[in-house]
Amino acid sequence: MRIVVGEGSCGLAAGAGAVHKRLEALLGEQDQTNVELGITGCNGMCFLEPIVDVYDDGGELHRLVKVHEKDADVIVKAATTGDLALLDDLTISAEDEKFLTQQTRVALRDCGVIDPENIDDYIAHGGYKAISKILREGLSQEEVINQIDIAGLRGRGGAGFSTAFKWRAARDAKPDETGKKYLICNADEGDPGAFMDRAVIEGDPHTLIEGMLIGAYCIGASEGIVYVRAEYPLAIVRLRKAIKDATSRGYLGDNILGSDFSCTLRIKAGAGAFVCGEETALIESLEGKRGMPRLKPPFPAQAGYWLRPSNINNVETYANVAWIINNGGEAFAAMGTKDSKGTKVFALTGKIVRGGLVEIPMGKTLREVIFDIGGGIRGGKEFKAVQLGGPSGGCVPASKLDTVIDYGELAATGAIMGSGGMVVMDETTCMVGMARFFLDFTAKESCGKCVHCRLGTKRMLEILDRIVAGKGEEGDIEKLEDLCYAIKDGALCGLGQTAPNPVLTTIRYFRDELEAHIDKHRCPAGECRELITYSIDADTCVGCTACARQCPVQAISGERRSPHKIDPTLCIKCGNCMTACRFGAVKVQ
Amino acid sequence: MSFVYTIDGVEVVAEPTDTILSSATKAGIEIPTLCFDERTAIYGACGVCLVEVEGVPKLLRACSARPQEGYVVHTNTPRVERARKTAFELLLSDHTGDCRGPCKLNCPAMTDCQKYVGEIREGRFKDAVSTVYEAFPLPASIGRVCPHPCEDACRRKMVEEPISIAFLKAFAADKIEADGDPYVVECEPSTGKHVAIIGGGPAGLTAAYFLRRYGHEVTIYDQQPKMGGMLRYGIPEYRLPKAVLDREIAIIANAGVKMVNGVKLGKDIDFDELRTQNDAVLLALGAWTSMNMHVPGEDLEGVHGGIDFLERLGLGERPTLGKRVAVCGGGNTAMDCCRTAVRLGAEEVYVVYRRTRNEMPAADIEIEEAEEEGVTFKFLTNPIEFYGKDGHVTGMKLQVMELGEPDASGRRRPVPVEGKTEDIPIDDVLMAIGQRANCEGVASEILTQRGTIACDEMTFRTSMDNVFAAGDVTNRGAGIAIEAIAEAQKAALCINNYLEGDEVRAKVPYFVKRDVTPEEFEDRPKQKRERMPGLTPEERRNNFMPIYFGFTDEQAQREASRCLECGCHDYYDCRLIRFANWFDVDPSKFAGEMHEREDKDVVSEVIIHDPDKCVLCGLCYRVCDQEVGKTFLGLYNRGFSTEVNPMVPKEARSFCAGCLKCVEACPTGAMRSFPAVQRRR
Repeated sequence: MRIVVGEGSCGLAAGAGAVHKRLEALLGEQDQTNVELGITGCNGMCFLEPIVDVYDDGGELHRLVKVHEKDADVIVKAATTGDLALLDDLTISAEDEKFLTQQTRVALRDCGVIDPENIDDYIAHGGYKAISKILREGLSQEEVINQIDIAGLRGRGGAGFSTAFKWRAARDAKPDETGKKYLICNADEGDPGAFMDRAVIEGDPHTLIEGMLIGAYCIGASEGIVYVRAEYPLAIVRLRKAIKDATSRGYLGDNILGSDFSCTLRIKAGAGAFVCGEETALIESLEGKRGMPRLKPPFPAQAGYWLRPSNINNVETYANVAWIINNGGEAFAAMGTKDSKGTKVFALTGKIVRGGLVEIPMGKTLREVIFDIGGGIRGGKEFKAVQLGGPSGGCVPASKLDTVIDYGELAATGAIMGSGGMVVMDETTCMVGMARFFLDFTAKESCGKCVHCRLGTKRMLEILDRIVAGKGEEGDIEKLEDLCYAIKDGALCGLGQTAPNPVLTTIRYFRDELEAHIDKHRCPAGECRELITYSIDADTCVGCTACARQCPVQAISGERRSPHKIDPTLCIKCGNCMTACRFGAVKVQ
Repeated sequence: MSFVYTIDGVEVVAEPTDTILSSATKAGIEIPTLCFDERTAIYGACGVCLVEVEGVPKLLRACSARPQEGYVVHTNTPRVERARKTAFELLLSDHTGDCRGPCKLNCPAMTDCQKYVGEIREGRFKDAVSTVYEAFPLPASIGRVCPHPCEDACRRKMVEEPISIAFLKAFAADKIEADGDPYVVECEPSTGKHVAIIGGGPAGLTAAYFLRRYGHEVTIYDQQPKMGGMLRYGIPEYRLPKAVLDREIAIIANAGVKMVNGVKLGKDIDFDELRTQNDAVLLALGAWTSMNMHVPGEDLEGVHGGIDFLERLGLGERPTLGKRVAVCGGGNTAMDCCRTAVRLGAEEVYVVYRRTRNEMPAADIEIEEAEEEGVTFKFLTNPIEFYGKDGHVTGMKLQVMELGEPDASGRRRPVPVEGKTEDIPIDDVLMAIGQRANCEGVASEILTQRGTIACDEMTFRTSMDNVFAAGDVTNRGAGIAIEAIAEAQKAALCINNYLEGDEVRAKVPYFVKRDVTPEEFEDRPKQKRERMPGLTPEERRNNFMPIYFGFTDEQAQREASRCLECGCHDYYDCRLIRFANWFDVDPSKFAGEMHEREDKDVVSEVIIHDPDKCVLCGLCYRVCDQEVGKTFLGLYNRGFSTEVNPMVPKEARSFCAGCLKCVEACPTGAMRSFPAVQRRR
């Protein structure tokens, strides 16, 4: 019998640590036991954390969800007695299981399955088989790259550039007199709402190491660097241990597995600038400089880290590599669409029933992801839009729900595949406010180097600020569009060039909503504070006083059992009353 | 191996090491850039060197893009223009400073006051005069009579009093003359084109001077016996000695301008003939007719037009006046009239003005000096009747007024106090309520209903081919001399363009401006304006002697040293302002938060950095790092808050090598060397 606690950052945040401690304590009280306690990474079901997996002696999995510290007693009892029926109340529902069963996992294949801190567990699940095969069979660089090429693997960080093309370019680049080339992993995952890279490092760090080793072998690099954002402390801890373990087992270091291929790996913790996710800014930061993008060309493949040939890929990209080598490029290419092969991980969040990490083959529709896997909109509300690609992406409206997930198809909507952030919005989300949110993000995260981004995003934000405050002017939309196109043309790096996307898609799909803000000073979604008023419908109100008790400014008055009223001059529009009312009597306009 | 491609249709030969920018430069095609400098690695921040290449979906930064054989590059497509213009507008939407000082901006002729004041401070008097001559001729004359809008705008008045900007130029002009080193006009080689100018006043003389400089053959025709117009026949000797005017007119004549006096348009010379004999004709007739008041008794003997009266004086007459003289009006002409009346022996001189002293358009100093000379001001009164005996005026009835609501000009409108009048006995009346043009002899088709000449206010062209107009005679009507001069200066440029075959409109360039408050100057030590020695009121009452004796050299230099040097020191080298005008920017459309950092950073012992003028091109810190090998400067903060600052703590500022390469590399006035500032403080 084995009890495994899901201890990714998300599980720990939900209380997995306390559950683990309690289980450990209870098991410690037993004189002798055949019950093992272990950990694993995040399996992606964020909406059910903390999750405890119980494997019975037959190896069958019993998945317990939303486990509380106090549930530890019954779990230990069930495990020690073998009476697993005790766990029925905690067991995942058949409906929620659909979340996982409808996925196809390649990059996340071992996340939430293996113990990320145990290299043997990784090896037991077929880990380091790919690099061993390459080195033992003496596959050439081109033979390996060819498999990646056949797989059609494209960069999973956002831009979707061909991985094989980049590897060949870095391999063919002439190094300087030191002969050095570098392989870099971009783990500076910064898009709000995206966390698949964190899940991979926390849940399966060795697959990243293996993917990077294969990449380093292909381009002839002897040094690998993982640039992880410092906000991922657990990922850094687990990766550091993984590197240490891999080194001691001979998977890293000199003459790996007895071959003449040598490669070391180290971690560089980023200091929290979003722009350092841009590859050239990342390189500047690695060199100890201020994280600001460089002009391309020259591309990193020619002149990257210390101006030497370098290859940069995202975590998820590397996480696919070992699988491709083990299963063959064709197997990967068998999934997906003509131009977008394999699977992609999405971080499904927002007003969705089941949020978490979703890995699906390319070619599924947005509708399938949101409604079949995600279970649709929470609280029976209407789907309004889905935001793809974070600050560089855009909002896709209901009319485009049947868009197929494919780099080109998504780009055609005005959004992008991006790193896979998927924020679902319902009718209560103001799309102007949404655009403003992302602009606020990019304006703050702009490195300040180029004029179009530094000042352009600032001015766009100011216009949007005006609009959501009801001070929009005629011509603001045109002014925004003008700025958008000029910024797209003039900004130096991807951050700036894509910053206008959230605004452009809002103009494209939700122009009427923008116009309502500007012309009628009204927020149709009822979200922009300056433009809304709360009121209580006297016919519906039963006078329960719940709203008045929740009002932080005593703006609500009324006798018990008679209709209440909101004083608009006092109301700060916090919405507490609306949340408090169980009768739907509080209205917002 | 070199190869060929095209930029804007021009074939260029490029080497593999070339960028689009470097080969465009070689081909003489300018691509704007703020952040590129050969001494440093390519940086790509400013984004104004964008170009479009056929077949390449993205715009490319010319500073870094390597051309390829057969590339078809365009530097001026609408897409390129939009991206570049937006960049400049964005930069300027957060650019705080004064491109030019308020003195220059407030001068109708845009005289570079700060420059000549600075030159006077440094004792470079001839340079100072040359600077004035860039804007207009006649510095000694205008310096004496100009009501100086420059001084009205001068920020030194927030400390104590404005700089004596107007008179300083008269000083410099007098000084080089006295030194025997007079200004000589340098003219372009003759173009063989002929321009006739009708009217030899400030406008006509100014236009003649500029057109002559451009190389044209210019003749001025004037009906009076001598040139100078209103300067000679409208301004009394005590304000402008005619010897000074003669001397300055001679400078223009010596430049080769022909001057024909005593000829009247329509009588001695024919308008159509002038048009056919010349390539262009400029009408600068001025405004010589006194306006009537339309009250009963205006035709009585002893009621004179103010300007007619002054003109007679200018012609050498000495009109006789009675004991009691009333002057109607509150402008500078009224002051000239009343003070002249005093000098001609009138015992009681009244100025009758329907508003109060606050609304008087005349210069303060004129009003003060008139009072000193014994003139009585009757404010809030308006003549409603002149009456007399035997056809000669003996008195006037005044309606008592009070101030009502503000009118279109912002001044409070005078309204009659019902039934309240006053009678004063008088022997003579001088009406100085305004002048208008008299366009006898000019084709009626180019006249407005008010009898002025209709011309385009940007090109100065009339509806007749080759006929231009400038000065008091145009649409805008009579104004001060420097306004007429300003029109003539621009008209001369337009005529020159016309003669060269293209029509370029006179345009006010774009400048970055800012507002200041007196608090900004609180730390300045007070230093009062230099007092010019002159005659006492008693000494000047019965003669037309010039009132002021002028500054000594020391006084002038001391006065000039009070200048706060508001205008940017880097104006002439600033790339940003040049491009701003090139792209005809309108940063107001992106108006938003602007940085206004209170303390301009002193970054080292020799450099001062004004972050509000910084465009973050990075040249200063890149030059410091890559060229000098120091890393004294660097960038701080992110996004809109990004700024350049020293990378070392305050106490280590001597780490700066003091080479000033950053100052030299800065494309704007953000980086400056320290001594200039010490001078300023």
